[in-house]
Amino acid sequence: MKVDVVLFAHFSGFQPDGKGGRHARTFDLDEGTTIADVIAMLGLPDEPRVIFVNSRHAPEERVLVEGDRLAIFPPVAGG
Amino acid sequence: MREILRVNMSTLTISKEPLPEKWARYGGRALTSAIVFTEVPADADPMGPDNKLVIAPGLLGGTSAPNGGRLSIGAKSPLTGGLKESNSGGTAAHALGKMDIAAIIVEGVPADKTVAYALRLFPDGKVDLVPRHDLKGLGTYETVAVAKGIEASEHRYSEKVSFIVNGPAGEMGMKAAGIAITDPHGYPNRFAGRGGLGAVMGTKGIKLIAIFEEGLKGKEHADKDAFIAAVRKFSGALTTHAVTSQALPTFGTNVLANIINEAGGYPTRNFSSGQFEGVDGISGETMREITVERGGNVKHGCHAGCVIQCSRYYVDEDGHYITKGPEYESAWSLGADCGINDMDTVAALDRKCGDIGIDTIEAGVMIGVYMASGKIAFGDGAAAMAVLDEIGHGTDLGKVFGDGAEATGLHFGVKNIPVVKHQGLPAYDPRPIQGIGVTYATSTQGADHTAGYTITSNVLAVGGTVDPLKPEGQAALSQGLQIATAMLDSLGFCIFVAFAVLDMPEAFEAIHEMAAAHTGDEWDADALMQLGKETLTYERLFNEHAGFTNADDRLPKFFLEEPLAPHDVVFTVTDEELDSVHSFVPEVAAQLGIK
Repeated sequence: MKVDVVLFAHFSGFQPDGKGGRHARTFDLDEGTTIADVIAMLGLPDEPRVIFVNSRHAPEERVLVEGDRLAIFPPVAGG
Repeated sequence: MREILRVNMSTLTISKEPLPEKWARYGGRALTSAIVFTEVPADADPMGPDNKLVIAPGLLGGTSAPNGGRLSIGAKSPLTGGLKESNSGGTAAHALGKMDIAAIIVEGVPADKTVAYALRLFPDGKVDLVPRHDLKGLGTYETVAVAKGIEASEHRYSEKVSFIVNGPAGEMGMKAAGIAITDPHGYPNRFAGRGGLGAVMGTKGIKLIAIFEEGLKGKEHADKDAFIAAVRKFSGALTTHAVTSQALPTFGTNVLANIINEAGGYPTRNFSSGQFEGVDGISGETMREITVERGGNVKHGCHAGCVIQCSRYYVDEDGHYITKGPEYESAWSLGADCGINDMDTVAALDRKCGDIGIDTIEAGVMIGVYMASGKIAFGDGAAAMAVLDEIGHGTDLGKVFGDGAEATGLHFGVKNIPVVKHQGLPAYDPRPIQGIGVTYATSTQGADHTAGYTITSNVLAVGGTVDPLKPEGQAALSQGLQIATAMLDSLGFCIFVAFAVLDMPEAFEAIHEMAAAHTGDEWDADALMQLGKETLTYERLFNEHAGFTNADDRLPKFFLEEPLAPHDVVFTVTDEELDSVHSFVPEVAAQLGIK
C-alpha cells in the first residue's frame, strides 16, 4: 500500500533519500504496518514525537491504510 | 525599596513615590493592571488626559531569574476599549528593575500637541524630560540611530542604553500602533504590539524613553544562596525540555507553522481555510535555511538571562540585517493570512511594520480583511506593502488601515472580520483548535493567543492532551492557562517557560522558590495562582465598568456557522462554558475589596 510520509524540523534529515526537506515521500508499505514500524524503519531518535495521520493526532500503534498521510514532528512549540 | 516613577505630561513634572504596600507582591502585568484599574476611570477616553501609560518590569526584573526580563505595558486600550497589558522582550525591563523602579506611570497630555519628548532615566537616579523635536515623525529604527548617536556622545554610555520607542503610527494615534523596545544589539525589534498602546504613548507626546544602565548592579536578594539554587533548578529544566532546549533555539517560534498547518488550524486567506499550500516557504525551517545560507544570526536571546534563545535576525542576500526573524504570528499574519508564501516578502513587511510602529498581527489580519474585500488580491506582496505605506504616510485611507482589521473590514463592507473585542485574531483558527477559541472569546485582552495558550495541550502534546476538535475540556484548559499566564507575566517571565513548567514539576517549584528567595516573602504554588487570579480580576472588573458583558466574550458568528476545511468543523464550545471561565472573579474581588 502507498502512504505519504512527511517529516519536520530536525526529523526531516531522516528521510531515506537523505535529502531532507518537508515534502512528502511516498512509501510502499506492507498491509498492517503501524506508525511505530515506520518510525523504526526511519530510525527516528528515541524522543517524544507529535504524530498526525490525515491531520488528526494518532498514536504510534495506529495501523496505516492505503492513501494515508503520516506527518511526524519532534516536540515543537512557539507562539 | 521599589518606587513608582510618575511623569505628568500636562505639567511636565516628574516625581517618585514608594510602591504602595498593598502592591508589594506585584510586578509586571499584575502591577500595570492594578494601577490602570485604580487610577484610570473605566469610561476615560483612551486618547485623552485621563488615560495613563504604565510600564513595569516583572517582580523578578533586574535579577538573574532565567527568562525573567519581560516588560509589561498597560493602559486603557484605544483598540479594545478595555484594560490592556501588552508584553514585550528587549532589555528595558531588567534596566528598570535594576533601578528599583516598579513602574513608570505617564499621565496627562501636553498642552502643545506638536511636541516630542524624550524621557531619560540615569543610573544615579536622575530623571529628566527633554524636548526632542528632531525625532518627531521618524521611524523606530531612525529614531534609535539618531538618539543613540547623540545620547552616546553626550553621556559616554556606549551600549548600555535601552530605548522604548514610539513609531509614526503611534504618533498619529492609530489604534493598531505598538511600542518598540530595543534588543541587546540595540535594534528596536521587540514590541509591546497589541492593543494600540503606541497611540496612547503618542497622546502623551513621548517619542522615546531612554534608560541608561551603565554600572547598575543586579538586584539584591533576601536569601542569595536560595535564589541561586532556584535559578539553577529553573535553568536546568529549561535547558532539558525538548521544546525549550531544541526546537525553539534551532528554528525559532516559527517552527510552529508546519505543525499548525498539519493540524488544519493555520488560518489562510482571511480565515477561509485551515491549511496553506505555501506554508513551507514561510516556515521556521525555511527561514533557518535562508538565514544560515546568508550568514545571518540564527540564535540569540531577546534579553539578558534568556536561556531559550529563540530570537534570530533575518538578513538580505548580502547578509545585512532587515528585521528580527519574523515570529510565528508575524510570518503567519503577513504570510498565510494574506496568501503570501515568500519569506523575503514577509520579512520586508515585518520590517515595515516595525519601522512605522504597528502591530504585525493586527496589520496582517487587516491586510487579509482588505484582500477579502477584493480591492487587492490575496498573495500580492507589493499591494500589501502599499497598504503599510499608506499607514506610514498617514493618508486618509492609511488612517483606516492603521485602526486595524475591524475598522478596515467595516469600511470596505467585508462580511467575515476575525476580531474579538475589536482586536484581530492571531495565528490559530478556533474551529479546529477549540481551546484557543475559548481564550480568544473570554480573554480580558481581546483575541490574544498568549493570554491562555491552549495550543500546548490541543496540538503540541505539552502539558497533557485535550482533543482540539471537540468542545469538552476546553474552558477548563483555557481558564487554567489564563491564570498561569497572568502569573508569569506578573513575575516577568517569558511565557515560553510554560512549556517546561507544564511538563516538569521542578520548574514550577523553582518559580515560587525564586520569588520567595528574592523577596523574603512567602510564596508557594497557591500564591502563584492567586497572583494570576488577582491580575485577571482587576482586568475583568475594569472591562465590566467600561461596559463589557458576557455578550462580548463571543467569537464572530462565522466561526460558529461556516465550517473550515480540512476538518469541516465549526466552533462548538457553549456560551455557558465560555461564561464559566471567569467564575473565580467575584470571590477574588471580595478578597481584594474591589467591586
